[in-house]
Order: sequence, then C-alpha cells, then structure tokens
Amino acid sequence: MKEGKYPRARMDCLTREFGDEVLVYDRERNVGHCLNATAAAAWKLCDGKKSASEVAKILTRQLSAPVDESVVQLAIEELSQARLLVESEKPARRTSRREAIRAIGIAGAIALPLVTSLVAPTPARAASCLANGKPCVSNVQCCSGKCGTGGRCNG
Amino acid sequence: MRKLDRLGWAEGIGVYTYGVHAGVRISTPGMLLQISRLLPPGWKNSRRATMQRLYSLVVAESSRRAGVRRMHILYADSERIARDPELDQVLTALETDLHRYVAEASPDKTFLHAGVVGWQGRAILLPGRSLSGKTTLVRELLRLGATYYSDEFAVVDDSGKVHPFPRPLGIREDSTYAQTNYTAEKLGAASGVKPLPLGAVVICKYKAGARWKPAPLSHGQGALELMANSIAVRNEPRQTLRRIHKLMRSAVFVKGTRGEACDSAASILNLLSTGNGQEKE
Repeated sequence: MKEGKYPRARMDCLTREFGDEVLVYDRERNVGHCLNATAAAAWKLCDGKKSASEVAKILTRQLSAPVDESVVQLAIEELSQARLLVESEKPARRTSRREAIRAIGIAGAIALPLVTSLVAPTPARAASCLANGKPCVSNVQCCSGKCGTGGRCNG
Repeated sequence: MRKLDRLGWAEGIGVYTYGVHAGVRISTPGMLLQISRLLPPGWKNSRRATMQRLYSLVVAESSRRAGVRRMHILYADSERIARDPELDQVLTALETDLHRYVAEASPDKTFLHAGVVGWQGRAILLPGRSLSGKTTLVRELLRLGATYYSDEFAVVDDSGKVHPFPRPLGIREDSTYAQTNYTAEKLGAASGVKPLPLGAVVICKYKAGARWKPAPLSHGQGALELMANSIAVRNEPRQTLRRIHKLMRSAVFVKGTRGEACDSAASILNLLSTGNGQEKE
C-alpha cells in the first residue's frame, strides 16, 4: 500500500542507539543497517507529515548547524534504498552526493548522511563452514547448508 | 523418531552446556570417551529426561563380504544429518552440528563467530568468516602471551562480558581444509576461565604482503560487523542487539587488511594500551 507524499520511517524495525548512530535491524529482510548521525536524525524526523525542507529546518535547530534541504533529500534517498521508509507515493528526489557536499561546504559542520547495510547471516554461514566444492558428509558442514551427491558442498 | 527409539542403544550421554540440554546415544559400546572429546568445552552431565536435541549415532559393523562398505549414520532428532563409511567424518559432523546448535539455542548467551583472546584483563575479538585467518592470528597472539578464549565463538552474556569457549584450536597446516587440533596448553598458552569485558574488536582480512594499517570504526559500524557474525541474529535479533550494545562500552574498533599474523599481532595487543592499533615507537 502506497503512503502519503512525505517520507515516513518504518516502525516495525528493531533499533539500538550507539552514541548518535543508530543500528536498525529489519526483521522482514534480515538486514542490519548502521545510520550515521545525520541519517539517524533525519530518519527519526520522517513521520509522514514533514517535507524535506521542514526536516532540514528542524535538523538545523537540533544540530546547531545549517542543514541544507539537499542533505535531507540525500538522507531520504539512502534510507529509501535501504528500505527503511514506508513506500511513498512520491519517489524520493534524486540528489547526488556532490550536490549535497556543495551545500554543506568542504568543511561542513555535519557529516553526509550514510547508511551502511549488512545481511544477517544464517547460522550455517555465521559459523565455521566449508565452501562450495569442498568434501563433506553432512549439510551442516557446508556454508550453503547443502552437501550434494558426490560428497561436495554445493548450492 | 519412534523407529529410531526402537533400535538398540548401547550407551548414551546427556550434556548441559551454555544453558542447552543435548543428548547423544550410540549403537555400539565403548565410544563415550571419544564422543566426550567432541562436546562443547565446559559441558556438564545432564540428567534431564527429555533433551532439546538428541543425536543418534548408528555405528556400522564391519562387513564380512568383500567390496561392501557399511555406512555410519548420524541423526539429529529424527533427521538424518550424516552418512559415511568413515566414522571420523561422521563424528566431525556431530561436533559441528552440536556446537552450532548450542550457539543457536543458548537462552542466555549470544554467540559471535570470532577468535577471542584475553589481554590485560580484557577481551580482544577477531570476528570473521571461515578461512579469514582467525586461528592463525589467535595462535600468534597466544605466542605473544595472550590468554586463549576461543578460535570459534565469542560468548556474550547479559552484562556484556565475554566468556571462554576454549575448544582446541583447529590449525590448518597447509592452507587446506584439513585441521589438526591443538589445545592452548600444547601451544604453551593458558586458557581463560573468567568472563572478561570487551577491550577491542579487530576486523581484518588477510592479504599476502599487506601492511597492517587499521582504520578506526565507529561504534555503530562495529556493532553492525558484530551483528553480521552473530549465529542467532535471525532468530533472536532483539536479544542479540541488546547484548552487543552491552558488550561495546569503552571498546576500541578497528578494521584493516593484514599481512602475516606475526606482523600485526603485536600492534593488535597494543590497541588496549594506545587505542589506535599502531605500534609504539
């Protein structure tokens, strides 16, 4: 179901704060995301009622540093790519990092928004395991979870 | 399972370890000592009537007919998980599955795939996938005087302390998958007993000839790396994040590419004194 025209943060993810960064775990997709301070602050303000320029104004007050709308647009784009926003009717406007850097200035007081994502491993992949093609006698030994006929890990 | 239960079982053992009860039953007598060597470190006898996971090992009797190879078979509950003419191979599968089950099912600990050593009263974690060189680095750190905690799992409790999982180090002698097991004592090092607070997390990749110049990681990035090496994060994401959060107070996080273990080990130990992983001049 498509949502309204302003970005809204998904509420069904688990979150933990590490200083001013936020670690978000998406249980639907089994992906973890680290939001840096700027991305995290923008994400928290995405309530579906505020436009990017309104978010930029609030961030400027919160961070005591000028935050341009293009920086918020970039954050929204990063969050949207990481699927941390409820899908919106209006697609996020594409903003280049270069545009955002220009708006911040070379010695900007805030960092560019950054979302780093890593897929959560299955237990088989997280522990010591054998790569494809290696000899095996049991599925449990293979990173892929599959010990094929012929006694080699595959899949 | 009933069909399995009806087979004759010569002996068995109940195991309690890291909050998990598991059992192993064997069709042939005289194998308990061999089985006990495969159990997770620090196990105790469990007298529970029902186990969370029950392994059934059917040991094949040798065939009198030439050319006939009998298979040894291992079941986990009612599922057949290994079948091979070599008993050692099936026992390896038992060890792998049991350790992983404990790591996944432990109710009060979070298991991270990482090498761990103790140094100056704090734990140094070396998370990484298979063949990333964890054991080689752990071995080198032990040579420099660190205490052995694990070459496989960092076990984190609710207060964020790291417990030992001191299984013998599986050392690959010639970059193949074949491993030889050595206890820390055999390598001249001591094994840790006491849970330790975290001192440093070192995420490194091996590249022949690389110079160790680690870059600091933020706590958020470090937590993400730990999550990506957590055994049970898919099943227990809330508990995993909570324990990682507790674990991380006042720790140093670095990431980089290393060359030979002997070139990076000293600066890794130095992290706890300098906080930046660079060797003191």
